[in-house]
Order: sequence, then structure tokens, then C-alpha cells
Amino acid sequence: MHKILIIGNPNVGKSTLFNSLTKSSEHTGNFHGVTVEEKHKIIKYKNEEYDFYDLPGMYSLNSFSFEEEVARNFALKFDAERIMLVDANSLRKNLYLCLQFLELNIDFKILVNNYDYFKKYSNTLDIKKLNDKLKVDCQFVNAKKIKIKDLILKNDEKSSHFHNFQKNSLINGTYLSKYIEIIKNKYNLDEKTIIFALNGIFDNLRKEQIDFIQSFYPELILDRYNYIDNILKDVLSVQKDFVYGLGKADKIILKPIITTLGFLFCFFASIYLIFFLIGPKISDGLNYIINFILIKPFINFLYSITSNVWLIEFFSNGVFSSILTVISFLPQIILLFLFLTILEDSGLISRMAYVFDDFLSIFGLNGKAIYIMLLGLGCNTVSSLATRNMSEKNLRIKTILLNPYISCIARLPIYVIIASAFFGSRAYFIVTGLYLLGLLIALILGFILNKTILKSDNNTLLLEFPPLRPIDIKHVLLVGRDNAIDTVKRIFFIVLGVGIVVWILSHTAFNLNYTSIITDSVLFYFADKISFLFAPIGLNSAGIVCGLIVGVMAKELLVSTFSISNNVSTIAGLIASLGVTTNVIHFNTATAISFLVFTLLYCPCVSNLAVIKKEIGAFWMWFAILSQFSIAYLMSFVIYNTLIHNIFYSLIVLFVIILILTAIIYIIKKIRTKKVICMFCNKNCKDKK
Amino acid sequence: MSLSEIKLNVEAVVKEINIIDRKIKIRLMELGLNVGTKILVKNRSVMKRTMLVVFNSSCFTLKENLARNILVNYA
Repeated sequence: MHKILIIGNPNVGKSTLFNSLTKSSEHTGNFHGVTVEEKHKIIKYKNEEYDFYDLPGMYSLNSFSFEEEVARNFALKFDAERIMLVDANSLRKNLYLCLQFLELNIDFKILVNNYDYFKKYSNTLDIKKLNDKLKVDCQFVNAKKIKIKDLILKNDEKSSHFHNFQKNSLINGTYLSKYIEIIKNKYNLDEKTIIFALNGIFDNLRKEQIDFIQSFYPELILDRYNYIDNILKDVLSVQKDFVYGLGKADKIILKPIITTLGFLFCFFASIYLIFFLIGPKISDGLNYIINFILIKPFINFLYSITSNVWLIEFFSNGVFSSILTVISFLPQIILLFLFLTILEDSGLISRMAYVFDDFLSIFGLNGKAIYIMLLGLGCNTVSSLATRNMSEKNLRIKTILLNPYISCIARLPIYVIIASAFFGSRAYFIVTGLYLLGLLIALILGFILNKTILKSDNNTLLLEFPPLRPIDIKHVLLVGRDNAIDTVKRIFFIVLGVGIVVWILSHTAFNLNYTSIITDSVLFYFADKISFLFAPIGLNSAGIVCGLIVGVMAKELLVSTFSISNNVSTIAGLIASLGVTTNVIHFNTATAISFLVFTLLYCPCVSNLAVIKKEIGAFWMWFAILSQFSIAYLMSFVIYNTLIHNIFYSLIVLFVIILILTAIIYIIKKIRTKKVICMFCNKNCKDKK
Repeated sequence: MSLSEIKLNVEAVVKEINIIDRKIKIRLMELGLNVGTKILVKNRSVMKRTMLVVFNSSCFTLKENLARNILVNYA
């Protein structure tokens, strides 16, 4: 099998190339750092298998962020053929990485993308000369249209010399020799170690040795660029200087007020159109079709073959109602993902990152947080992973911790249902208010964390601007299709699975017999035992507590649990049932608002918690759980008690709770400052000198 | 003269790179910024803390505190 790695600078079109070659539709975007971990796909061509790997982008082997480190380690240590994708419009910068690979004597093939754009300015690139100068196969490609037959792959299994290093004959004797000699004279290291260290890869070197080698970096970078310039002067013919990235439209887009208002208008208008105007009509149609084609005939069939009430109830209220209420929101979910894809594809996100950078830096974040927040509108788990393109540790921890306050798509159905049930025509404003409340709390918390336990040494936004591109309708539709498939999979594997468990537990009595009275069930019994904890926020109903517990698994489960508990299978039925006090789950205006606020804030879902633990550790996962639960409880308490008592009562209790939280933050700060790494043993030892 | 004081769309040349954080300094140099590099300030945010700077044919965002440490001469 041929294993092929696609490597290169960020935003040169690696994922687009990967998608074209493998006929897949991996997430791509016109923004730095869309790919944060390696992805691969095997395809067959002429009876041979090709395993393509798409890696995160990197400017240099001397990694600056976690995603670059992932890409570097994979690109160097994995035995495979390598494709280096470069952009013709920023060839000088792209060749820097190529040169580092040449220094390490690692074979690769260069594919030059975006040459059509380069030619627009009457500039030319002599690819044959580039080939001769670098002694590397070079080829023009269009990453969007390339097919596997267009690639001429070498059948060289030992193309990586990472483990079997030999000096590159091309680079040998050039600028690198002087550094090798100086370092060798001082520390008597072997050539492989020195060359790797000069590229930011330190294997068993002491700090003093690393510092010494790194002191040559500024001069070495200059030498590398001189070498590149010598190559390019014979290869490139640039008739007219141009700036790759900035377009005429940027004169308008980069005006902060226009961008801010434009984005807010587009976002909230999209929410209105998607969730309150067009979406419900498509949902009703979908609901009717599924009911008419699938559910009704199946239930009628069941009635014709059995009179077992348990079985009929299980399918009609356990299986179908759990998926139908969630699948009704599928059109809205796809439409929102299409909106986000258009933003990503066009290059507008980089502009927004720049425009919002100053504002976000007040709260200890940087402009990249805008991208994370936008991804978070789709799925908080995906956006937590996307923080890998941040270079500073505390900045990354903060962004991951604040990310769950942005309402993901899974929370929207429950917002829309409860807001529609209790606020009628004002439902849209309630949903919008929830988004803004989540954002406001995220910013305030970011400010507090930045001033206390997570101070950022530098929250520099160093971002390359991609050019604005017209929307690729085909790509947008492919993303829509993929999101539909993902959502349906999620509904079937998680919502349906947990929905069945919830239905069984809510219809099984203590004697293990079927019960149609939900208050006699095992689930209700246990939820009732802990529901007193939620009395201060008005949510002391066993049914609501059940919903909140399963909601930690995935927020979509709230809707399915409610529909199972109230024995309804349509959105309209669920909305109508929530105000009826005889139903298991019911609200009044105060408890509905309290519930919405609590749902917005109370806990990241299980998959996001797993990512938080993996990315920043168990300590911060527990911090996320406890802080979010405390804030959710606090906010719901204040809102609920203000609605049913008065604001003074709420404020006194709020003051006491804030005092307790301040004490907790103070204790955490003390614990964290004690962890000082010993400079001698490089561990947190007790004998610090 | 600091970078933040120069006018938009006027080409300037980097005279000195005086950034203390070595990691960022190296990254900027790897992106093609060096003494003698021609730069162009294309845009500045409202609070003037972040700016758009063009060098090496590409456009980058740059924080004001970093830009201040890149001393420039008008070309």
C-alpha cells in the first residue's frame, strides 16, 4: 500500500487536495488552522491501495503551536511518501518549510497550487528550473480538481530518512556547514543531532545546549531566505508586486463597525429565518412525511399482529417519539451549518478575528476565539479541538473553558420548544437573549480568569490573511450533506439508544413490571430523591431532573426525554404539553426561564468533557464541570427568585455565593502557584534550590 | 519611530527587531520579517492595538506591542 502524507503551510489547500484525491468531504475552510489533527482515507486506483493523510498546516519545523507539533512529528516520523503543497502566490514563504525538509534529507514532491491566480498579474514560475534547482519533483496542480491519475507517485518505501539519516548533498557545503562546525566544536554532538536541533527538534539535549543552538536561529533563518532568494531569482518572474490576501472588498469589510453590525445582523437574521420562519415549515413537512410513510403504517402493522400494550407503547412512545422530535430539527441544523460553512469558506472569519481581536483581548482572549465560538455554535466538542492552533497554554485553556457557554446546535431545539410554549411570538427574542447571555457570561468569566488563575503572558494574534473567495456551492452542499449524515447518526446511536433506556426506566416499576404511570417508575423514584436540590431554582420536578441528568450525555436528549415523559411524538404536541400541570414535565413562565438559563450553562456534554480532559487535563475538566454548574445554579437562582420574590432577596444570596466562589478561586490560585518546576531536576520536587 | 505612528499605505523598512519573546521573534522571522524587509501597514483597528501588516507578499495581523518593537524607516 502507498502511504502518502500531504504537508505544507496553513491554508494552502491541503484539505481541498485531500478531498479531491480521496473523493471525500473533510472539513476545509478559508482560515488558518482548520485541520488540527491528522485524517486519512484509503482509496483504490488501478488495483493498488493509496492511503492519503491530511496533516495540519505548519510554517516551520520549529513548531509554534500544538497543531504544528502534531503535524511535524507525523510528517517526520511516519514512513510514507510526502507531498508538499505550496501556494504559487506565497512561494518564498512556502519554500522555507521545503528547505527544512531538504536539510533533514527527507524526500518529498512539490505540488504548486493556485498558479492561475498568480498568472493573473502576468507573473510566471518556471517549474522545470525549480525542479532542477531543488532536485525535487515539482508539478502544477489545481487542488480542487486534481485526480489521483494526475499524480506521478514514486514507489519508494524508504522515503523517510528520519531513522536512517544521511546528509543532503544539495545542502551539504552551504550555509548549514558553519553552524554544524561551531556547535560540534563546542559540544561534540553528532551531525544528525545538530541538524535536527537547528530545525527545532531536540533529542536528549541539555537546556544549555538547546539555548546555544537556538541562539543561531535568527542568522540561520536569514541564511535560509538568502538561499531561497537565490533559487527564486532564476525561477520567478514577477511583473507586478501584489499582496496575496487583501482584496478590494476588504476596504469595506475591515471597518470594525460595519463588520460587527453586519455579522450580528446576518447571524440573528439567520437564526430567525432558520428556526422561526423557514425551518418550522420544512420540519412540519418532514414530520408529516415520516409519520405518514413510516410510523403510522408500522404502528398499524403492530396492532394487526399483537395486542401487547408494552410492545406498542415501546415503539410508538419509546423509539419513534425519541427520534422524531429531534429529527424534526434536522433541516434547521443543516441550514445553520450551511451558514457557518459560507462564513468559513469565504475568508470572512479571518477578517472577523482581526476586527474582534482588540475587543477580545480585554477579556484575555484573542481574535482566534471568534473562530472557536463560531464553530461552537455548531458543536462545542469540535471547537474545543480547534483551539490547538493557539500557541499560548493559558490562552488555550481559557478558550476551551469558555467555549461551552456558546450555545451549540444541540441546545437550540429545547430553547425553541420551551420559548415557543411560553412566550409565543416573543420566542425569538428569548432564544436570542440566551445566546447573548451565554456570550456575556463567557466574556465576564474570561476577564476574571485572566486576572486571577489564567493570566496570559501573550495573547498575540499572528494570523495570515487568506484572500476572499467566492462561495463554492458544491462544497457548501457537501458540508450540508455530511452534517445531515452526522446528525442522523448521532440521533440514531445516541438519542435513540439513550431514549430507549430512558423509556424503559421510566416505564418499569420496582417489581420490574411494565407501568404506564411514569410516577411509579424506577427513574422517577430516584430523580424524585434528588429533586429537592433544584427547589431553590424552581426545577424540583423529578421529570425535569431526569431530563437534566440525561442532557449531560448529549443536549439533544432533553427534547427526547421530555417527549417520552409527556407521551407525545410531535413538536406541536410537546409544546402544547409543557404548560399542562397534570403532565410529568410542565413549567410556568418563571420555571421555564430558569430552566432555559440552567440548560444554557449547566455542564458541557460528555463528548466535550472527554476532549477537555484529553486536551488540557482532568483538573480543568472538573473545573469546567464545577464552575459551569455553580454559575448555572447561581444565574437560575437569581432569575427565578427575582421573578417570584424580588431582586433584593436574590442579590443578598448572590453576594454570599460570590464570596464563596472568590474563596475557591483564591485557593486554586494558591495551589497552582505552589507548583513551581525545579530547574535542576525538571520536576515539581520539594527540594527547590 | 514606532510602527504604530506611521501612516497607512506608506512603505517602510524594518531597521531593528527588538522583540523580547524569542518564540514570537523567531516565528515572525520564519514568516519572512527581517531587518531590511519592506513592510506596509494596511489597516489599524479602532483601538489601534492590532494592525494589518504586509510583508513577504502576504498580509499578517500584528499586535501593537510587537509592532512597536519593530523599528522602521520610511522607504
